[in-house]
Amino acid sequence: MPSPIRILTAVPICDGHDSAINTINLEFIRHGIEVIYLGYHRSVGDIVRAAIQEDVGAIGISSYNGGHVEFFAEVVDLLRKHGADDIKVFGGGGGTITHDDVTAMRRKGVDQIFFAGTALSEMAGYVREHYGRPRKKRSPSKLRDIALARELTEVEDSYASRKRSTSNAQRPTSKGKIRNPQSAIRDPRVIGLTGPGGAGKTTLIDELVLRYLSSEGKGRIAILSHDPSVIGEGALLGDRATMINSQDDRVFMRSMATRGQAGGLSPATHDCLALLAQSDFDYVIIETVGTGQEAMPFQKNGIVDLTVLVMNPDYGSRLQLQKIVMLDLADIVVVNKSDLQRARTAHTEIEQRLEQNRRAQRLIDTVAKRHRDPGVDRLFDLISGKSVAAVYDRRNKKIRRS
Amino acid sequence: MTVETKKYGAHRSPLQERSGLMNKLGQVVEAVEKYNQFVLDEVKRARADEGFGREVIDRWHETKSKTLVTHTPTGLPLPRLALPEIDEPGEIARYLFGDGLPGEFPFLNGVYREMYLEPIREIEAGSFGKNGEGGNAESKKRKIDKKKIDNQPKAEEPTRLFSGLMLAEDTNERFHYLTAHQRTHRLSTAFDGPTLYGIDSDADGVFGKIGEGGVAIDTVEDMVRLYDGFDLGSPDFSASMTISGPAPIIMAMYIAAAKRRFGPKVVPKLRGTIQADIFKEVQAQNETIFPTEASLRFLTDMVEFTTREMPRWYPISISGYHIGEAGSTPVQQAAYTLSNGFAYAEMFAARGIPVDQFGPRLSFFLDCGLDIEYIALARVSRRIWAIGMRDVFGAGARAQLFKLHTQTSGRSLIAAEFKNNLTRTAAELMLAYMNATNSCHSNSADEPFTTPSEEWIRLAAHGQAILLEESGIFKHTMNLLSGSPGMKAVERAVEKAILEEFREIERLGGVLAAVEDRFQRSQIQSAAHRYEQQIYDGTRPIIGLNRYRNGSDDIPEVKLTRTPRAKQKLQVDRLAKFKKKNAEKAKRALDKLADVVERGENCFSTLLEAVEVCSLGQIAGRLQEVVGRFRPMV
Ligand code: B12
Ligand SMILES: Nc1nc2c(ncn2[C@@H]2O[C@H](COP(=O)(O)OP(=O)(O)OP(=O)(O)O)[C@@H](O)[C@H]2O)c(=O)[nH]1
Ligand SMILES: [Mg+2]
Repeated sequence: MPSPIRILTAVPICDGHDSAINTINLEFIRHGIEVIYLGYHRSVGDIVRAAIQEDVGAIGISSYNGGHVEFFAEVVDLLRKHGADDIKVFGGGGGTITHDDVTAMRRKGVDQIFFAGTALSEMAGYVREHYGRPRKKRSPSKLRDIALARELTEVEDSYASRKRSTSNAQRPTSKGKIRNPQSAIRDPRVIGLTGPGGAGKTTLIDELVLRYLSSEGKGRIAILSHDPSVIGEGALLGDRATMINSQDDRVFMRSMATRGQAGGLSPATHDCLALLAQSDFDYVIIETVGTGQEAMPFQKNGIVDLTVLVMNPDYGSRLQLQKIVMLDLADIVVVNKSDLQRARTAHTEIEQRLEQNRRAQRLIDTVAKRHRDPGVDRLFDLISGKSVAAVYDRRNKKIRRS
Repeated sequence: MTVETKKYGAHRSPLQERSGLMNKLGQVVEAVEKYNQFVLDEVKRARADEGFGREVIDRWHETKSKTLVTHTPTGLPLPRLALPEIDEPGEIARYLFGDGLPGEFPFLNGVYREMYLEPIREIEAGSFGKNGEGGNAESKKRKIDKKKIDNQPKAEEPTRLFSGLMLAEDTNERFHYLTAHQRTHRLSTAFDGPTLYGIDSDADGVFGKIGEGGVAIDTVEDMVRLYDGFDLGSPDFSASMTISGPAPIIMAMYIAAAKRRFGPKVVPKLRGTIQADIFKEVQAQNETIFPTEASLRFLTDMVEFTTREMPRWYPISISGYHIGEAGSTPVQQAAYTLSNGFAYAEMFAARGIPVDQFGPRLSFFLDCGLDIEYIALARVSRRIWAIGMRDVFGAGARAQLFKLHTQTSGRSLIAAEFKNNLTRTAAELMLAYMNATNSCHSNSADEPFTTPSEEWIRLAAHGQAILLEESGIFKHTMNLLSGSPGMKAVERAVEKAILEEFREIERLGGVLAAVEDRFQRSQIQSAAHRYEQQIYDGTRPIIGLNRYRNGSDDIPEVKLTRTPRAKQKLQVDRLAKFKKKNAEKAKRALDKLADVVERGENCFSTLLEAVEVCSLGQIAGRLQEVVGRFRPMV
């Protein structure tokens, strides 16, 4: 079975018309396409960066607020500039894009525009037909993100074509893929975040990224995020849309669908992680799908240096806690959403549960959705060994945290 | 002007505010159900209790006999108020309490007594109370209070055209052109993309968007230019500003600009509306710039200020339009809009603003499409709002009114054989007036393509005039079409469905919790997807698209008014000058603003100072440093 088609969709800057693209995303997914959705009000730079990192077959842009001829062309140009013009650009904008516009856009390198009134299935059919074929052998790129992104694609594709079963995730990482044995590659810290659905993992990672970017003047960070999908079916990979701080040249992010594997990761995850771990990043953060925590999603003695379990205070009764294996294994347990009423009880119950383990585990309360949350600061300090509070103080003495 | 920040009592932190709040919906559901039960009880009582029955009948006859008679152009005499032909006390009670006469609680038939009726020319004290004992015409020969008639709310002139283009001076010129021959000046302002998103014209990647689709406003100086030549304090002037995410900053700029031109005394005289509806931004329109709770706090700061200092201003327009256009069902639209409204009421009340002060300053904005629900959507909304405000919030008469602006559906207008859009809009207008909307905007037939052109705008405006002025449908008789069995059936079904939505939101912990859970967004998205699927599988006939398609590509002449680069550059240069001139002062003003926000105080008066020396982007940026940026939801 070939790899599912991956495309990126987005709405241009200063444009919030997302109704059409939401519908189109759903339709694409129904047709077995993996859609990485970047959201609305997105700049050319953000779109191209994401498309390159995700190594998608094409970018679908939905534009309504005018200026589409220029915007689409800028996306095409920037792709070209980076040597990533095997990524095609297509889209629509209802009646706002006229036939004359389309002629101009085609001339500037836009692949296809769908007019108002085009049937949804027709568009999905077009994408399957034109962006689904495996891409020809691509010339090696000098841009490191492109090279890395393509290698990640090869890993993912190899799993899809070999039809490996889920157990393959446990096999050792493939060494053959490791690129560029350059001398001074730093050894990134690999941090694995897992936890139940909706506990706040993505929000937390994005807040950690913000702290990393503002406390370190240079260096890069990689994120591997997962969303569930069934073999041969599509998926909506939507984390990028909400991760406002991670749209940055210093962040390399890759979204993966689990493609039928249980346990919160994709069959290709460990190999991809190995690749990232051998690249030039300070940190590699991996987020699992939100699932039950009966088992440890990360390989024992694997590449993950630090495991973080993110809990939602609403886990139910104390009895539920006994079943959570991850509570035994995680290095750090985070009770997120500690703004919720149940958080204090949750903290106490989890603390008692951790005491049984007699291990040096840390328990931290956070409110990831709160700006400059001190709990997230503590988590960052713990992970980085730095004090983010000191950074704030230096940057702006006036900003106090309450 | 000195502003006292704590007048309405101590401020609670947003989190405190959150915990106990925004969950009065359950009470609203109960109140409506209780009210419905009350109506049934009154029906029974009118039948069982002879005294009460007589009272009801007397009132009925009195109303009928007081009803004035009008003569149509053909000479046909008609009552100015049509009432159901019932004479049984129970049924009369059901009508009087359940629906209410126009202008009477629970306002099903309208918030005013004579919505679109022509002013009376020839008056006959009459009796249409055929079967009335009130036939003793003597007592009905009333003197007509002339003043009362003049005071009737007039239908909105269809001249409040949404406009905004290029730079402030260009929009200003357009405003003057539009209002050249008008006694009252009602301006409706559209902002460009960067302004709507709270960013400056000199921000990265937005140069090409400056002045596109609306006017570029960066500073108070732009705001002065925008309304130059208009008398902002005049009772004949009102400004409406369609902006929500950065609304408090833009509002502050408007006030500051008015003060620069007319001095501080102008503030209480300012009239107009600012959209400022944050919930619907998060749910549907996607122009939120601060985290939801922080946005709500800034909104409340502004509302606290305007209700106190600007009694003629409408500081929020609670909008279902965008929800409907994003693809919701009509019931979802009404349910989310009303629940948003109740959540705001709760928030403002929690801040200590008296309900009878802010209540009358709330206004609503709904969509009207072609689905059958629209025949009664606003009617039912008006009733639920009145009951909820009276019985849950203890609002007095003026604060119970659901004052409504309607716009016909833009989404129902399509590119294929676009001239059919005229008919669609006409049908929607008809539905909107059957709901007794207070004012209405009709979309132009070229809506799918671009900013409407003069030709189609004129046709759209004339559609309204034809219905209201030329045709006899709405000008002779109130209630001409209300109360038909079909309409009643729709009303009942819609009310039930809205209450069901309320219960669901209540279960999720109230409006704010539901919003943060993406509840409304995901409901709207699935409805939108279903709608599009229905078009392409043919179960939703769209003429010219999936039925009776002739294949010809009839497209209006699309004249794009692009903002010339020179103008965009001018805006950037002006902004640079402003920033340079005020650099020192801006720093201090921003620090002070940040401080006030950190302390959790009402920041609106500090905002008023800040806009004197800071740009929109500087202020929004600094506020984001303090409260964070909005994290978009998929
Ligand atoms: C719905 C709508 C809104 C909603 C948006 C809700 C939402 N969350 O999306 C609301 C009410 C919020 C809104 C607001 C505004 N809107 Co508006 N809106 C529309 C409207 C009515 C329909 C667009 C739509 O979604 N159609 C449904 C889709 C599914 O169908 P479609 O457009 O025919 O698209 C088909 C294809 O083109 C294709 N397609 C589309 N995109 C893509 C992408 C890909 C990848 C693919 C493969 C295919 C594809 O798929 C569709 C199915 O065949 C249009 C007018 C119209 N009738 O088209 C105006 C319109 C787009 N809006 C307009 C404007 C100006 C605005 C505002 C700026 C107004 C203001 N100043 O406040 C704001 C800005 C909002 C913002 N945040 O950016 C203008 C744009 C003018 C221009 N470009 O010259 C329009 C054209 C109306 C007008 N004539 O003035 N709007
Ligand atoms: N009340 C509260 N809500 C939060 C907090 N952090 C995140 N959320 C909300 O929780 C929801 C889920 O957040 P995500 O970050 O997407 O959670 P996740 O664990 O990545 O979810 P999945 O990847 O789908 O399993 C969002 O609506 C967040 O706004 C918090 O500290 N308090
Ligand atoms: Mg997540």
